[in-house]
This record gives sequence, structure tokens and C-alpha cells, in this order.
Amino acid sequence: MGLLRKSRRSPEAPERAGTATAKAGRERIRQLHALSHRGLWGLAAFLAVSLVAFNHSRLLPPLSDNLRAVLGKSPPTNLISIALVVYSFSALVLILSRMSTGQGKYKGWSHLAYLSAFYVFYLYGNVLDANFWAVFAAGVTIMALEHYQLWTFCTEAIRKEEERLAQAERLEKFKS
Amino acid sequence: MLKNLAAKAIVPVGLTVTGFVIVCSILLYSYVKQDLIEDSIQREVLLGDIIVKATRFSMLTDQRESLRQTINDIGGQKGVEHVRIFNKKGVIMFSAHAEEVHQLVDMSAPGCIECHSGPVAAVHLGPMDQARNFVNAQGEPVLAITTPIYNEPNCSNGGCHFHSPDEKILGTLDIGMSQAPLIKSLATLRIRLIIFCLMVLVLTVGGVIALLQRNVLLPVRQLVHFADQVSRGNLEVSEPEGAEEVTSLAGNFKRLARRNLEADDNLRDLQDKLDALTRQIRERESGHKSGS
Repeated sequence: MGLLRKSRRSPEAPERAGTATAKAGRERIRQLHALSHRGLWGLAAFLAVSLVAFNHSRLLPPLSDNLRAVLGKSPPTNLISIALVVYSFSALVLILSRMSTGQGKYKGWSHLAYLSAFYVFYLYGNVLDANFWAVFAAGVTIMALEHYQLWTFCTEAIRKEEERLAQAERLEKFKS
Repeated sequence: MLKNLAAKAIVPVGLTVTGFVIVCSILLYSYVKQDLIEDSIQREVLLGDIIVKATRFSMLTDQRESLRQTINDIGGQKGVEHVRIFNKKGVIMFSAHAEEVHQLVDMSAPGCIECHSGPVAAVHLGPMDQARNFVNAQGEPVLAITTPIYNEPNCSNGGCHFHSPDEKILGTLDIGMSQAPLIKSLATLRIRLIIFCLMVLVLTVGGVIALLQRNVLLPVRQLVHFADQVSRGNLEVSEPEGAEEVTSLAGNFKRLARRNLEADDNLRDLQDKLDALTRQIRERESGHKSGS
């Protein structure tokens, strides 16, 4: 209806509207391309955090006794490990449910914070060396699945957008 | 990349299951390792107590030769890296290795520092604090335990002895056991867990592929073939079976194709009738013209 009203005002108006739609479509495709790479950035950030955690004895200063006295006793290692298993399970279930409903949300940054917190807890309990690979495996799985979920959503959305764009171009050619 | 149905289904399932199994396996390995190490320490603490109790009479009656022989016999056992008794000044009095006797132990060395870190030496330590790990000259991992030899009433009241009742500790037994069997067991456990993870991965991926192949991919392929045949006008081709949705879709295709063919036939009949009528009209017109 809007297009029809515009066409009464000026003969170039539909062409301009079509160009605007194409421009918006191309912009949306560019945004989706950028969004599809966000998962890789999250994965890279997690690998960087893991690298620091792996070399914690060289890269991080030792915790002072005063700070330990302020923070108190570390939680039991078994409790941290149980929390890690429960967290990994819930995170994977939530990502799979998002994947099944086709949502394009990315929760990688909050997962990065949770995983870093696990590194910190193990480090504080002086058991990071023994449990590093458990957090690393959990992190790689969660971040890779987050990336895959977002990447498949973006790929699908780009395909639809390209189809819409091609349809609009065909319509424009037909009208002209 | 990842455009077909099988890859789209396998990647998330395979990644999720394998990743979670790996996390659980690593934590399980960590738990088992911790339990085995704590168990070794407990057993070694118990062994230290047994040695102290077994040599108590020899110490009480100052039978040094008997005590030396007992320490040598224990030190000769397989898996025992060292066994020694030193006095409270840190001088080794008895050892399975004769060259160590009368040498002074460094109080700041691991195994001593736990009690001697402060100005006054600690008298009691928990079992986990008594343990220390190190690698010996042969490159073997060793778990050592220091067991204090406490001053008991018999030691200070005995007619032959001179220990004052104020002395809490008379000496220390230090025993080190090779950890090679434990390391070997842990390596075996690690290999078994890796095999378990691989089996889970193969079963998961294989299961998903088999189910997809049977319930989705095969019926879809049959549906594609069916649609090709029907679109060419062959309505005799049988509908694909397996998935209910695919069978229903194929039935709908067939009905649409039949209606399409019927409509084509009707159109052709109408066209034929129209052609016949046109011919008749033209013939009549030409008859009229020739008559006039």
C-alpha cells in the first residue's frame, strides 16, 4: 500500500523503495556475516584465558597470605568438580534447546565468565594443575557448540535474506 | 560445508556427547587418582605405625643390633625405597642404607619442614601432612612418610633409659615407598578411559547415522525418486514407506499429479472438441460460399 501511494506521487519512487530494500537486505547480510564470527571470537577468548590458566605459575603472581585470610578457605575440590559437571550439563542442554527452537542468541560471553570462574576457584584451591583439562574440555565443548549454533542460525538467515534479495531484484527488473 | 542432513545432525550430537563424556572422564580420573594417592598415604602411615610398634621393644631395651637388623630387613623389601630412624636432632641413627648412618638431615628439607617451619616444632601432624613426594636418583617417584616416635611412660620410667618425661618426641621414622605401581595403575586407567571415550564417540555418531539413514535419509531419497517419476507422469510407482510423514507427503504428491493429469486430459478433450467444432464451422462456411 505504501508503495502504491508513493507511486502516485512520483514515477521513480518504487525504484527508490526497491533500492532501499536491497540496501537494507545487504546491510542485514553483512551484519549476519559479522554475527556468525562472534562464536569464533568467543572460542579464541576462551583459549587465551586457558593459556593463562595453563601457565598460571609463570604468568600470575602467587596469592598473598593476607588476601587468602580475607577471602577465607577455598571450597572443597569435589564440590567445585560437581558444580562443573552440573554447569556443563545444563549449558549443553540449554544450547541444544536454543538450537532446536532456532534462536539466534549468543551466550558465549557469559559462559566465558563462568568457565574463568572455575579456573579461579581451582587456582584458589591450589588444584588447578590436576583439574585444568576438565575445565578446558568443558569450555571447548560449550564454546564450540555455541559457535556452531550461532553459525548455523546465521547461515540459514543469510540464505533466506539472499533469496529475498534476489526475489526483490527480479520484481524490480520485471517492473522496469 | 555441513549442508547435508546427516552432518547437521551428527556435529552437535557428537560434539555434546563426546565433550561431556571427556569432562566426566577427566574428573573421574582426577577423583580416582586422588583416592588412590590418599589410600597409599594411609597405608604408608599405617605401615610406619606398625614398624614403630614392632621396634618399640628393641628401642625400650636398647637392643641396637636387633633394631638395625629389623630396619635392614624392611629396607630390603621390594618397593621400599628407604627406611630410616633419626633422633630429634636430625641425625640418622638407623638406616637400610648403611652410608646414611650418622648423617644430619636438613630440617628445611621436605618431610621435615612441615613440623620445623616455626620456632617450636609441631608435635602432631595429619596423615596428609606427613607425606611427601619426590623422584629418587633412579628417576622413580617415591612417596615418603615421617612418623614421629613419641615419648611414652615406659620410655621415661624405664630403669635403663634416660629420656625426660618433658620430651614429647624422641625421634622420627622415615619410610619411602616406590610409587611406580600406582603410576602404572593410573596410566592403565587413563588408557581405559580414552578407549571408553572413543567407544562413546563411535557409538553416538554411528547410532545417529544409522537412525538417520533408516528413518530420514532413505525415505527422503525414495521420496525424491518418487516425485521425479510422478512429475514425468508415471503414477504406477510405489509410494516410499518408513516414515509416516514421508508416506503422507508422497500420497499428496500422487493425488496432485493425478488431478493434474486428469485436468490435462479434460483440457485435451475440450481442445479436440473445439478443434472439431472449428472444422465443422469452417466446412459449413466453405459450403455456403460454394453454394452461393
